[in-house]
Amino acid sequence: MDFAATLPRLVRRVFYRLVVPVVSIAAALSVSGLLIVVASGNPLEAYGAMLQGAAGSIGSLATTGVRTTPILLTGLAVAISFRAGVFNVGAEGQLYLGAAFATVVAVAPLGLPGFIHVPLALLAGFVGGALWVAIPAYLRAYRGVSEVVTTLMLNFVGIYLISYLIDPITGPIGERNASYAQSALIQEAARLPVLISGTSLHAGLLMGIGLAVALQILLRYTGLGFRLRMLGGNPTAARFTGMNSSRQIVIAMLISGGIAGLAGAGEVMGLRMRLYDHFSPGYGYDGIAVALLANSSPLGVIISASFFGALRAGANAMQQATGIETSLVLIIQALTILFVIFGPLRGWVATRTTRRAGLTPGGSESAP
Amino acid sequence: MPLDPAFVTDWGSASIRLATPLLLATVGGVFAERSGVFNIGIEGMMLVGAFTAVATSYYLGASADPAVVSLLAALAAMLAGGGIAFIHAFLTVTRRVDQIITGAAINILALGLTNTLFRAIWGETGRERVAGFPEVRVPILADIPIVGPIFFQQSLIVFVAYLVPIVAAFVLFRTTWGLTIRASGDFPLAVDTAGLSVTRVRYAAVLFGGTMAGLAGAALALGAIRYFTPGMTAGRGFIVLGAIVVGRWHPMIAAGACLLFGAADAFQLRAQALNLGIPYQFFIMLPYVLAVAAVAGAIGRANPPQQLGRPYRREAG
Repeated sequence: MDFAATLPRLVRRVFYRLVVPVVSIAAALSVSGLLIVVASGNPLEAYGAMLQGAAGSIGSLATTGVRTTPILLTGLAVAISFRAGVFNVGAEGQLYLGAAFATVVAVAPLGLPGFIHVPLALLAGFVGGALWVAIPAYLRAYRGVSEVVTTLMLNFVGIYLISYLIDPITGPIGERNASYAQSALIQEAARLPVLISGTSLHAGLLMGIGLAVALQILLRYTGLGFRLRMLGGNPTAARFTGMNSSRQIVIAMLISGGIAGLAGAGEVMGLRMRLYDHFSPGYGYDGIAVALLANSSPLGVIISASFFGALRAGANAMQQATGIETSLVLIIQALTILFVIFGPLRGWVATRTTRRAGLTPGGSESAP
Repeated sequence: MPLDPAFVTDWGSASIRLATPLLLATVGGVFAERSGVFNIGIEGMMLVGAFTAVATSYYLGASADPAVVSLLAALAAMLAGGGIAFIHAFLTVTRRVDQIITGAAINILALGLTNTLFRAIWGETGRERVAGFPEVRVPILADIPIVGPIFFQQSLIVFVAYLVPIVAAFVLFRTTWGLTIRASGDFPLAVDTAGLSVTRVRYAAVLFGGTMAGLAGAALALGAIRYFTPGMTAGRGFIVLGAIVVGRWHPMIAAGACLLFGAADAFQLRAQALNLGIPYQFFIMLPYVLAVAAVAGAIGRANPPQQLGRPYRREAG
């Protein structure tokens, strides 16, 4: 029955990695297809239009890239926290704080060339995100307070804090007399370069891919990565090695928050050129889904984020062509997650592969 | 003028109205969390409840007495909330899946489903007012100045909400059921040893939580607004999670927290006109800031149920 056992080792590993997400996505598309039929539409036509809108031309591929960028970064942020056994549900708030910090640096007329101004603003974004997770990190590491409630609640504090900061009347960085709550335009020198002219695809995508590779290397080949994985895989063993778990937790959470901050910085500096309030349609929560689908592998996050980005990019084309609501992609996303975590298939895989270190959403053994 | 009697009456009345959906969902959430199951899907369950209530009221329409229609709508909303909660219970209790991820998925699913169905029923912009909960005016009491209109002239669901925390606190702390629920969140092995099923207790508590979240959605949609807008819960389900923490997992204290949060929300809506010099956004943040302070131990000790978030396995310790 287990034909996969006869395959070469590398092929086998890839097969086992892909079987859960691929089957889950197929199941989610099937159930959503049934919903389309019930709503007297044609699922093949709808998915065809979606594919066309996500990958049918250079322009649509660029749109997919634009939609992928923020969720690739929040996905990496959540994935790194999962791997260290920490549940950062606060990527949304960290994204907003990162966007605000990056904006403050990016609007400043520093007169610097782009190759200095851009990294400075990105660094500010990283710091903003990391600061926003610092309190939950301290509470988790040194006071034993679960990070779930604190990171989740700070999302909303962050969103309304940004709303205050750019308020057209009272906000310290709000553009006065603007009809919307928004900051001033950022400096030309602080903009992320456009990758394909005529589209809005910007260098944020490359930053995300680069970070994914860097995180993969960090987790796999460095001492810090080893300690983080041990913390996530077996906290008791980690303690017996005499390592300072609290310190590792703080480091993991600060990295996670910082990367989520970069997601916000990228949106401001690559796409919108201003800070707006409520600009994220839940990228921080998408990050949870993306990390889950990739089983918290940084390189896997590139693939799962692209899938979610393509869904988002294709949704509008689908609605224009077939009249089916864009909200259908939310249903597809949710069903995909539910099928992944439902888990009989994951159990089947788990019995055939060694267990991955880190927080596995299906099992309770390593839950924090 | 903030202390003008007309302002106080108006603000107080709105506070009670806005606190009602929070309170109903919070009491349900207290039971679920006390049994050991964390539910960040309350937001989605409220949203589904709000949608179901409005859709039911819309379809029953003029066919019956508005009061009867609103009660049937509330019942449908409770069933819908319970139905969504069943997914949560199945995945987290039976399949022992991570509770946060399940809840997050439920929120996305609820948003997608209600958006899609909303457009299917009412089209692009259509919002039609439907029959809502009837207004109740308690004779004599409602005539007391200020207090009367605030507390005794409200929609029917508000009066239900007055009773809910009292009954809930009694059940939780004075009955065997309550003891069993609390034990299954603090020390499930004891429940198991006593020959009771931890699984069954947690299912019951999660389903009750979802039912109350559904009712809360109905209270939100049929209390004053009387139509559905996509995503209309707008984060109230997360305020509920804060209220549970600030309320230290006690229905009465949590109800007090809901009242405070309702008052802050009502004040925020009026603060912009008052020109107080405090940006209104800070009032919106209040519930979340207090919740963080509460778990951090800044306002007294808040001890969550010890096994909150952990699936129960008989063999493993």
